[in-house]
Amino acid sequence: MGLARTKTADLASEVLWDDGHHPSDAVSSGTTLLWDSAPHQHDAISTRTFGFWLYMLSDAMILAALFTAYAVLSHSYAGGPTAADIIHPRFAFRETLLIFSSVLALGLSMSALKQGNRIGVVSGIVTAFVIGAVFLVMEFHEFAGLISHGITPERSGFLSAYYAMVLVHSLHLVFGLLWMGVMLAQIMREGFTDNVVYRLLNLKIFWQFQAVIWVCVFTFIYL
Amino acid sequence: MTRLDRAADSAPDPYRTPHSNTVRRRFPRLTGLALLGLGMLLTGCSTHHLWLFHPKGPIAATELRMMAIDVAIMLGIIIPTGLMVVWFLWRYRASTGKGRFDPNWSHSTVIEIVVWGIPLIVVGVLGYYSYKGVYEVNPYDPTVLSRRSSNPLEVDVIATDWQWLFVYPKQHIAAVDELVVPAHTEIQFHLTSASVLNSFFIPELVGQIYVMPGMPTEQAMLASDPGIYHGFSAALSGPGFSWMQFQTRAIPRKEFIHWVAQMQHGPRRLTYAAFNELAKPTINVHHTPQYYSHVQPSLFDHVMQEVRMGKVFATPMAMTAHM
Amino acid sequence: MLVHLQGPWTPLIGRLTLNQVPYDNPVIVGAFLFAALAAIALAGGVTYTGKWGYLWREWLTTVDHKKIGIMYIIVGLVMLFRGFIDAVLIRTQQVMAVGAHSAGHLGALHGFMPPYHFDQVYSAHGAIMLLFAVTPILVGMMNIIVPLQIGARDMAYPYLNAVGLWLTTVGAGLIMLSLFVGDFSHAGWVGLTPLTELPYSPGVGVDYWIWSIQISSVGTTLGAINLIATIVKMRAPGMTWLRLPVFTWTSMATNIIGLTAFPVLAATLALLTFDRYLGTHFFTAGMGGNLMLYTDLFWVWGHPEVYFLVLPAFGILSEIIPTFSEKPLFGYTAMVLASLAIAGVSWMVWLHHFFTMGAGPLVNAYFSIATMLVGIPTGVKVFNWAFTMYRARMRFDTPMLWAVGALFLLLIGGLTGMMLAVPAIDFQVHNSVFVIAHFHSMVLLIAFAIMGAISYWFPKVFGFRLDERLGKRVFWYWVAASIMVFVPMYILGFMGMTRRLDYISHPAWLPLIIAEEVGIGLYWIALYYQAKQIYVSIRDRRKYRVSIDPWRTTRSLEWMTHSPVPFYNFAVTPVIHERDEWAWRKEQGLTSLRPERYQDIHMPKNTPVPFILGALSLAFGFGMVWRIWWLSAFSLAAIVSALILRSFDTDTDYVIPAADVERMERRGSVVAVAQDAGRNSGSGHASGSRFRATEQEGQ
Repeated sequence: MGLARTKTADLASEVLWDDGHHPSDAVSSGTTLLWDSAPHQHDAISTRTFGFWLYMLSDAMILAALFTAYAVLSHSYAGGPTAADIIHPRFAFRETLLIFSSVLALGLSMSALKQGNRIGVVSGIVTAFVIGAVFLVMEFHEFAGLISHGITPERSGFLSAYYAMVLVHSLHLVFGLLWMGVMLAQIMREGFTDNVVYRLLNLKIFWQFQAVIWVCVFTFIYL
Repeated sequence: MTRLDRAADSAPDPYRTPHSNTVRRRFPRLTGLALLGLGMLLTGCSTHHLWLFHPKGPIAATELRMMAIDVAIMLGIIIPTGLMVVWFLWRYRASTGKGRFDPNWSHSTVIEIVVWGIPLIVVGVLGYYSYKGVYEVNPYDPTVLSRRSSNPLEVDVIATDWQWLFVYPKQHIAAVDELVVPAHTEIQFHLTSASVLNSFFIPELVGQIYVMPGMPTEQAMLASDPGIYHGFSAALSGPGFSWMQFQTRAIPRKEFIHWVAQMQHGPRRLTYAAFNELAKPTINVHHTPQYYSHVQPSLFDHVMQEVRMGKVFATPMAMTAHM
Repeated sequence: MLVHLQGPWTPLIGRLTLNQVPYDNPVIVGAFLFAALAAIALAGGVTYTGKWGYLWREWLTTVDHKKIGIMYIIVGLVMLFRGFIDAVLIRTQQVMAVGAHSAGHLGALHGFMPPYHFDQVYSAHGAIMLLFAVTPILVGMMNIIVPLQIGARDMAYPYLNAVGLWLTTVGAGLIMLSLFVGDFSHAGWVGLTPLTELPYSPGVGVDYWIWSIQISSVGTTLGAINLIATIVKMRAPGMTWLRLPVFTWTSMATNIIGLTAFPVLAATLALLTFDRYLGTHFFTAGMGGNLMLYTDLFWVWGHPEVYFLVLPAFGILSEIIPTFSEKPLFGYTAMVLASLAIAGVSWMVWLHHFFTMGAGPLVNAYFSIATMLVGIPTGVKVFNWAFTMYRARMRFDTPMLWAVGALFLLLIGGLTGMMLAVPAIDFQVHNSVFVIAHFHSMVLLIAFAIMGAISYWFPKVFGFRLDERLGKRVFWYWVAASIMVFVPMYILGFMGMTRRLDYISHPAWLPLIIAEEVGIGLYWIALYYQAKQIYVSIRDRRKYRVSIDPWRTTRSLEWMTHSPVPFYNFAVTPVIHERDEWAWRKEQGLTSLRPERYQDIHMPKNTPVPFILGALSLAFGFGMVWRIWWLSAFSLAAIVSALILRSFDTDTDYVIPAADVERMERRGSVVAVAQDAGRNSGSGHASGSRFRATEQEGQ
């Protein structure tokens, strides 16, 4: 069956290619290199990291859209509480410091990764995790306070946008913490394999990005 | 006063009003087919129904003129291009084409410059006209209306689900689904909506402007010929959208003054409470007009303010469930 | 925090009740019976031939970019058919509902569909055609062709690729589900606010619309990341940027748009979701909401989305026209620049979708001129295609017919587009059927390009070509049908007819509306011949079998491997020397596919995870639509767990030893997918695979 087909196809290809060229031993003729026979490795880590940067770009677009919405709605109080009523820059500044120290801890962890220092990496991640978790607790404490005063997202366009912005940042944080947990498990299980390394690098990008979001939130909303 | 087909909560399906089943003529099918052929011929010959080509006011006329300029310029480039493609297709066809085959010809700096240049010039020219046109028919201050000095007639337009309310604030009268204006007089519209977004459109007189809840827009218009013109909403606003039409009657000034006086003696008053009744989701299947006298002052602002504070005229589930 | 709903809600089944199934509507019951019979026939066929295992192993779990592309296209074609049926219903309703005296059936006052139902049909038509028919088909084509054109083995992230496919499929599935359980959005495919807000759309229709688009747009974004990374990172040696085929360039431009625009849609829909589910005030009229914010954000995505669709179509034309002109593309660099320029300008024009909003004259003038700027690169493209035909030797095979047809559609669409770009004209034709006719001219251009691309690349992907005679007949019926439908539609626009009319009060419009219905009939005939073409071609596939280069004058890399393409694409990665490498090699007589020596090939393993993620997303979406919170929460947790578990799987690749590659290439029986790393592909020969390269190259 296969053979019969092969023959038909051979004929077909001869007919189709009958333009004076004969594809005989052209490969070896001349010095032109036609096929890349050298065994080459794709740089898996750089390909993965590049894709993650692209993902970050798309995430940045989401945030750009949300910031646009916030900018449009930032004075739509509809007779409800204004920004000055609900925002406490000092509290948010403390939160900002937490975010920065968490990023710093993860950064130190990444320098430890360069030296292959497993204990350094793990302790860095654990520190970043704990600080991130503290931040989350603070933020939910803040929200609980607002909601207990009846300052809910459905009160006005401004509050809707305010909650959306801050919660989207928190969502990134939750996701990052989950990621850290998974990475801790994978480092324990597999050590620093290619897969683990590129995920750690992407985690670092993500965590810094999350901090950038917070800086934007802090500047646009809290200041 | 003719009755209004209203979808009150008790009658969830407004389409089966007894009204709608009254008279129904049916054409025999074959006649229909024959009429079809004839009709297609007629449409080919007569342009009477092409509203856009029969403007009855300076704004619509300007809009038509812009269209003519635009199409003329574009055809000036598109027809030669199309002909060129056809010529190439014919001349360089593999079977019997007479053109010379040059398998490596794929670059010519001159042609490149020309093919970037032509669209650039066309866009430049069109851009100039577009810029001019934007001001000529600017809804807030159209420069083509030369009679700016004269006192325009003010009309407040409030769109509801799915009717049009026209309030004449200075005359304290209002009409539903009928717009009566004096010819040769500038009309100044203020528009807002009590429910969703609509688009206010009278093709023969003036182009569209959105009618949005909670915010005002404006439109200016002048009818140069007395007559009856179709007006309607041109933006989907829900199930009653297809019926959301109104007649525009442009009548001579004297008649208009008379009409206003007559209206002012009408029996029905329009307070905000009455408006709330009117604004309940309603499909006016027969475009039956209603008239009000003694309209509450600044009803327009009141409606807008209420909408801003969260007033909605929700569509009852029954109107959607099996519709 | 949850909102007040009209109608019942229970924790167990949310808003779902038995009378949400429209069993009393004959139109829907008919559709259901059709769908059910088709599904039963399909399932029966698979069972009868014992292909469930094959289907699962070779298709549902595949990570092969060509198979994923084929499945994208199949999903797209199925949805294209659904969208077409919607179009038939729209046209038929309008024919039946002209004049105050037109009869009403099935509970409608006029025609056979009450407005709320009719509104759903055209909303579904728009959403489906753009997002679930044309988009998946084009994404599928890019999936198949781009890696081949750049000499890659697969996409940069094959696993992610499969996830994208299944998310898109789930979106399409949710729309289909809305037909039978509950209803679909009635607010147009753009979902105008505040019409989509809960008070004005109290049912689940808008929620179906939100979640189907939301889920599939995640898939599209992932696909865009993948294609960009593939083009940037996976090019064969020597494939410099200015040697990339134009289709790859347009894919790049398109996916840059996809990557940046779709997240905006996701954010916009998310805010609308908050409004509908949590009672927030983003797009409401009152309480500080801003409804035009929605319109702006939607079109900030929506307009780039239009170019997301049209750019690959331009790329397809740029591949087909040179092939059948037997010449290189005229003005390659200009074409590349024009593609990128279109992608760039697409971000600056969104407001032209609502000139009538009442913005100030300067704003309108700016967006008018920005919109016209798109005409410059587009015009350049038209001229360059025309000059590719200059001094050519043109053959009019089916793909070329479609390409030429698309070119003329672009001229018409360009003319009317330039009209719409002028606010003073737009005020008169905005929201009219003139606009509909305009963008259908453009979308038909895309459809023509797609049809051309299918007949052009079909032989490469499947190893046999489609019947030419029937293909040409399909083309001419499409042309006739398009003229019959859309010329009357343009005229109706001048008559002042608005889009989305359930009932037409002006009998003068009837003749033209009937003409449109005749055009729909012609589309049916085209569809018949299309089905016949596919049937005949598959039946006589031996007769239609092709070698590696069925059109002889092709130029780019995808033709430089077997037909059908083996699962590893190229036995050895080619080295690129010229812009049109394959044309160059043919000129030099270097057409042998045999390298000096073979080498090991690394391939990704199949995985069921993407399919499972898709199934869970469907459950999640369904739960959200009906507000069955436990189902959504459970599905979401399961999705996250699946993602985490998958990340612990280190056994995701396998190696085909060089000797096996050589044996497969020599034997010429190259199997689509080798099942697992344990077995090499030679022995993992799945019988019945349609991906079997049949010709032996060289000797």
